[in-house]
Amino acid sequence: MKTFKQIMRRKVAAVCLVVIFLIFTAAIFAPWLAPYSPNEQFKDGLTLQGAPIAPNSEYLLGTDLLGRDLLSRLIYGARTSLVVGILANGVALLLGTTIGLVAGYLRGRLGSLIMRVTDLMMAFPALLLAITLAAIFSPSLLIVALVIAMVNWVQVARVIYTQTIAISEREFVEASRSIGASNRRILVKHILPHLMPTILVWGTLGIATTVLLEATLSFLGIGVRPPTPSWGNIIFENQTYFITAPWLVFIPGLAIITLALCFNLLGDTLRDELDPTQRGRQ
Amino acid sequence: MLNYVLRRLAQAGLILLGVSFITFALLYVLPADPAVQIAGRSATPETVASIRAQLGLDQPLLAQYWNYLSNLAQGDFGRSYLQKTEVSTLIQSRIGPSLSLMFFAILIELIIGLSAGIYSAMRRGKLSDNVVMVSSFIAISAPQFIISIFVLYIFAVKLGWFPIGGYGRPIHYVLPALTLGILGSGWYSRVMRSSMIDVLRQDYIRTARAKGAPISRIIRVHAFKNAVLPIIAMIGLDIGIFMGGIVVVESVFGWPGIGQLAWQAIQRVDIPIIMAVTLVSAIAIVIGNLIADLIAPFVDPRIRLK
Amino acid sequence: MSNILELSNVRKEFHTSSSKRPIVAVDNISLKLEKGKTLGIVGESGSGKSTLGRLMLRLIEPSAGEIKFDDVNLLSLKNTELRKMRSKMQMIFQDPMSSLNPRMSIRQLISEPLEIHKNLKASEQNFAVEEIITKVGLEISALDKYPHEFSGGQRQRISIARAVINNPSLVVADEPVSALDVSIQSQILNLLMDLRNDLNLSFVFISHDLSVVRHIADEVAVMYLGNIVEIAPADQLFQNPQHPYTQALISAIPQVEKEKRVSRMILKGDIPNPADAPSGCNFHPRCPIAIDKCSSITPALKITGSDHLTSCHLVNEAVSK
Repeated sequence: MKTFKQIMRRKVAAVCLVVIFLIFTAAIFAPWLAPYSPNEQFKDGLTLQGAPIAPNSEYLLGTDLLGRDLLSRLIYGARTSLVVGILANGVALLLGTTIGLVAGYLRGRLGSLIMRVTDLMMAFPALLLAITLAAIFSPSLLIVALVIAMVNWVQVARVIYTQTIAISEREFVEASRSIGASNRRILVKHILPHLMPTILVWGTLGIATTVLLEATLSFLGIGVRPPTPSWGNIIFENQTYFITAPWLVFIPGLAIITLALCFNLLGDTLRDELDPTQRGRQ
Repeated sequence: MLNYVLRRLAQAGLILLGVSFITFALLYVLPADPAVQIAGRSATPETVASIRAQLGLDQPLLAQYWNYLSNLAQGDFGRSYLQKTEVSTLIQSRIGPSLSLMFFAILIELIIGLSAGIYSAMRRGKLSDNVVMVSSFIAISAPQFIISIFVLYIFAVKLGWFPIGGYGRPIHYVLPALTLGILGSGWYSRVMRSSMIDVLRQDYIRTARAKGAPISRIIRVHAFKNAVLPIIAMIGLDIGIFMGGIVVVESVFGWPGIGQLAWQAIQRVDIPIIMAVTLVSAIAIVIGNLIADLIAPFVDPRIRLK
Repeated sequence: MSNILELSNVRKEFHTSSSKRPIVAVDNISLKLEKGKTLGIVGESGSGKSTLGRLMLRLIEPSAGEIKFDDVNLLSLKNTELRKMRSKMQMIFQDPMSSLNPRMSIRQLISEPLEIHKNLKASEQNFAVEEIITKVGLEISALDKYPHEFSGGQRQRISIARAVINNPSLVVADEPVSALDVSIQSQILNLLMDLRNDLNLSFVFISHDLSVVRHIADEVAVMYLGNIVEIAPADQLFQNPQHPYTQALISAIPQVEKEKRVSRMILKGDIPNPADAPSGCNFHPRCPIAIDKCSSITPALKITGSDHLTSCHLVNEAVSK
């Protein structure tokens, strides 16, 4: 039975999907879509005093502190943010799922040990550590993505762990064992398919988190380093012009908010659709 | 019951130990060499070497860790590499602002979140319920630091109602605590709502209603006590989340707390400070979770029997 | 005739954190099953019969004792060897909905034993699957459907198909009809008996329902709280039950014909918590004929007739006179 609320949610989720799709397209087709090169500093991109220029007909979103076109940087920035976000989330999902699956299926000492370790990691002020690591290691997209993944895999692992335990207790798993199925077969053919909805939901919600984390790290100056544009580091670079050229902060900020909101909404709707027993917290 | 408390305390201790070791080990393998930083660019290799020896940086990992732990037991967090002060002094001066901000932020989160949750639960399915829930959702999804920047711009810069940064008078608290409070309330309102709905469905509530008790009394006396249980656990988690984001928050608002301290230390690879802030955050998180676990049996007698 | 299954002094204990003593689910049970015969195991819930069924196939590990399947010591087998052995000994579970993976099609479910143990070509596999599905009374079109599209009885047929497709020697059925409507029960029972005869299966039939077991078993063992209290050929057990528990169970079977009705023996109390088993004879608190000895000394299974064993002090003493 579909309530009005459910139908609205679906429509909203559809809108989010469209928005995400648009952003993806912009990211993929950046070289063709961006009016200028993101790194080119234009002489007429700055005022006589060397300040950024407000949006005008030539530079649709204005320029940044070095006279670069904001729109182009924004489009290329989408690429960076998405690449890092998806990569980080992918690693986190892979790691979290594997560990949660193994711990949940094997249980016993190994399982408890693994879960104690995740308890430990959850007590960690992980972001603090991520910041430390990101600040100190040589800055590359890969490192940033890995650091973010390190922070995120724990939540996935816990959820997968609990679910794996629940699924392993179900009788069809015992039935498979009685047929003579190997552990590997049971994990891959029986348990994993039941985890797919969860993995899908976390895959979506996770991207929201990783994109935000990348933006946060870049905003602090320790994520993706300039001149490679990322929505976070655009804000970082242009902080000093915050008061005089607020669009340089607001526009990438809005972009980040939009992406985060869309992924969150999509993931939340997916979760409600696929498993109505899970509610509330992420 | 005592068993339970002791077990949790022991667990907490182990976790802190684990956190300290992992942090220490990770910092140990850093490619950056603090001795070089301290010695300065024009130092000779001998000077650098002697500084390393002074700081004990040439010793193996476990030996260094052991030294660190034994000092820690005496309350000595070491000395900052670069600031020529005891780290414990630095922490002491900085922790006040951080803790007070956290306190007020969580307070506001709770006030807004719980009332919104109860309001929503009672008007379940109606438009007001949907509005509240959508707002909560947006509050959760919106990136904290960006909203903070926006808020700062609109209210401090453009409107000039509040100071842009700084600390000292109550007015400095308003923007950061309100922003964090409103954004964080989203979690609480959602959980409170579903928790309240579950409780209101129970038979004992129906009984109270049938007896003619007014709804406000029902909520106060019966429902709230039971619905609030998951919230308590969340507060513990919330402390953890706050600690995690503390660097960014204090950066944006220019707040002189341990987050800002950590940020400076990270940029200068001032390891003792980094270690100390990490440990202090971990302690706060562990205490938060511990309190949540320890209060739970009192709010819900069913847990007590375990 | 050799034995397909031999259990010697098998015992299973469960340790829980809440009780100090372990729960003894199966207490020192020995039995034999001849090839081609059917053993019925009867008991209330909590008697340990399901645990015993699983122990027979080493689906759970015994705490003590020996389990021999077709003269092979199951406990000495390593994991891979044990798994290979499984194609010859199969289980049918009680709840047909939960024992079938809801995300797999019937074809996938039934083919799984073939995929694991045999390397057949696709056409051969299809043939085998189609053959077995018709044998259990379903249409071939059922193969492409999913478990939720079927009724309880049909799902049980699917479970049975999966269990027998690899031509096992032994099938252990754990309450296979208890979850089904009474009208369907006899259909499934008939199916089981037909298959048993066609495939020459040795069968263990576990149930709480004596009247069901009566028709299908050659020999019946009655369990109470982890022990076998009486074991005898089926007709002997029903005509001449010796243990008071068995007598009570039989007296409770509703009879339509007035002549066959026996006055009901009503037992005092409920089956005790296995974690807190009574001393001596497990049954003594509820037993109508218990004497002092019963509360302190545990009786053993002794021969009380031809192929008839009972575990009761009074019965044993009466027989030895």
